[in-house]
Amino acid sequence: MDKNKNPLKVALHGMNERSYKMMAMYLRGPCKGVALVVNSNSAEVDIFDADSVTGQNLLREHFESKSINPAIILSLNDHPQMANALCVKKPVKTDDMLAVFAKAKALLGQNIKSPSLLNSVNIAENTDTILASSKKTEEFSDIEAEKPVLKKYVIDSDEQKKTSKHQAAMQLNEKGFGAFIGNVPGIDVNDPKQFAKANYNPKDYFQGYVESAFKVSREKGQNRQLNSGWNPLVIFPGNNEVWLDVDESQVRSFSGIAIKSTLGSKMSVTPLNQEIVDKGGMALERFQSMDVFLWKVACWASKGRYPVTIDIKKPVYLKSWPNFTRLLVTPHALRIAALLIQCPRTLPNVAEVLNIKPQYVFVFISAACSLGLAGQVIKEADLLVQSPEIKPNKNQGLLSRILSTLLGKKA
Amino acid sequence: MSQYKIIFTGPVGAGKTTAIHSISDVPPIKTDASASDMAKMRKASTTVAMDYGIMNLPGGEKLHLYGTPGQERFDFMWDILVTGGIGLVLLLDNTRADPFQDMKFFLDTFDKFISDTTVAIGVTQMDLSAKPTIEDYHAHLNNLGIKPPVFAVDARVKSDVSLLIQALLYALDPGLEG
Repeated sequence: MDKNKNPLKVALHGMNERSYKMMAMYLRGPCKGVALVVNSNSAEVDIFDADSVTGQNLLREHFESKSINPAIILSLNDHPQMANALCVKKPVKTDDMLAVFAKAKALLGQNIKSPSLLNSVNIAENTDTILASSKKTEEFSDIEAEKPVLKKYVIDSDEQKKTSKHQAAMQLNEKGFGAFIGNVPGIDVNDPKQFAKANYNPKDYFQGYVESAFKVSREKGQNRQLNSGWNPLVIFPGNNEVWLDVDESQVRSFSGIAIKSTLGSKMSVTPLNQEIVDKGGMALERFQSMDVFLWKVACWASKGRYPVTIDIKKPVYLKSWPNFTRLLVTPHALRIAALLIQCPRTLPNVAEVLNIKPQYVFVFISAACSLGLAGQVIKEADLLVQSPEIKPNKNQGLLSRILSTLLGKKA
Repeated sequence: MSQYKIIFTGPVGAGKTTAIHSISDVPPIKTDASASDMAKMRKASTTVAMDYGIMNLPGGEKLHLYGTPGQERFDFMWDILVTGGIGLVLLLDNTRADPFQDMKFFLDTFDKFISDTTVAIGVTQMDLSAKPTIEDYHAHLNNLGIKPPVFAVDARVKSDVSLLIQALLYALDPGLEG
């Protein structure tokens, strides 16, 4: 059988969660390109574990429905030959499996050409024989097999090609900050006297339009596109994905410019133009997670400033740790998160306690606010509570050495 | 010299052995045994005792990395393992039927150890099963009254495992400087 060309679409039946996963992984490994696990509705071939209780019932239903899909039966026992069914004896061997897939493909071709042939076979009689033979194996079957299958997932080979979506985080150090994030001319955001001016309004930037488009798209549950007179940003809220056919350096430049007064009138959110999808030109590596994209866009708009919605004199809280393995990690971001997750603090207090430049706190808060992970404390009671001093861990020396080793070992 | 450890725990197949392998300075010592029947299709062996790796620290010190066996029936060993531990890395497999149940089981089991130290949670296999999302995990943890770091992790990728451990260390002491 030709690998990687039209793999058979197979559905797995009668398997507990663990067996299902094993089988799916197996088909993705030794049988890669030959068979692909899909949902039952899209399947061309149905694979049954005949040794499980649910498998027997499902197998019976399959034959009674006179489905044109060939059945592959996995069992510890030998089974009699029957029309439209192929047996593989456990433990499953790759050669046997590949041979059966080749036969299933041939059967499928015949069935599509002459579906009436299936009805002429005395399927019910043979099914009973198979099921009787399977019952013998019940005593060997895993106890878990009797549990209902609680979760099924379909291995989507396209998903794994979305390399940008699953790639590891980029960790920026202080030296790389200026070059990658940028800074604002004419203001020293690290000077406490200039803190009042060290803010920006996300709505003036691409960030604001992206946030708004995400909100609309999620609320309506519809695929949408953000048009900007540039390449459209396509939003798939169901998968939490965006697609943009532009190099990252261009997005970075675009995100750093206040566009409201120049391009604001050209920005619009419309239902997805199906032509973009139908043209088949949606390169998989251009897909990104919505959160990852917005986080970066917010960092580039911020350039070390805090959002205008934050009052620098009042504490901010962090709702939960950001998913740092997939986000752009700005300098000291993990330390800032660890501190803010303990209790709310003002932004200058965070910088002071951690002994870091305020711009690193500001950029982190900008990104965290864009994802709704951070916000301003509004309860009067919380405002009155003084932020506690942090106590050094008794093993601080050891922890620092572990940290240094990890940072020196970055992949 | 004291023995300092980081403990890796989680259900079978969550990636504990791989994660230790990703950051260990020596080839990890595995104590795997043959897995049976269908398990062989995915994983030829499963850890029945423990995994062990080492990170060499400046000054000749060593950090020991221990992986607990995934099977619950070996839980008598866990108390021995955690003695001297500085924190817990909990890896959860997102393709399992009920990862929240897994999470609760391990958080309950290591409850005392976590309250004495801290925990960082890595969710593996998210490229195979995107749901539950990281936000869903936070929602469950919020109900349990804790706010640990929860990251999507590919246990094969050193930087993912490294970030998770960095978060564990900062959670212990945000004032740390690398």
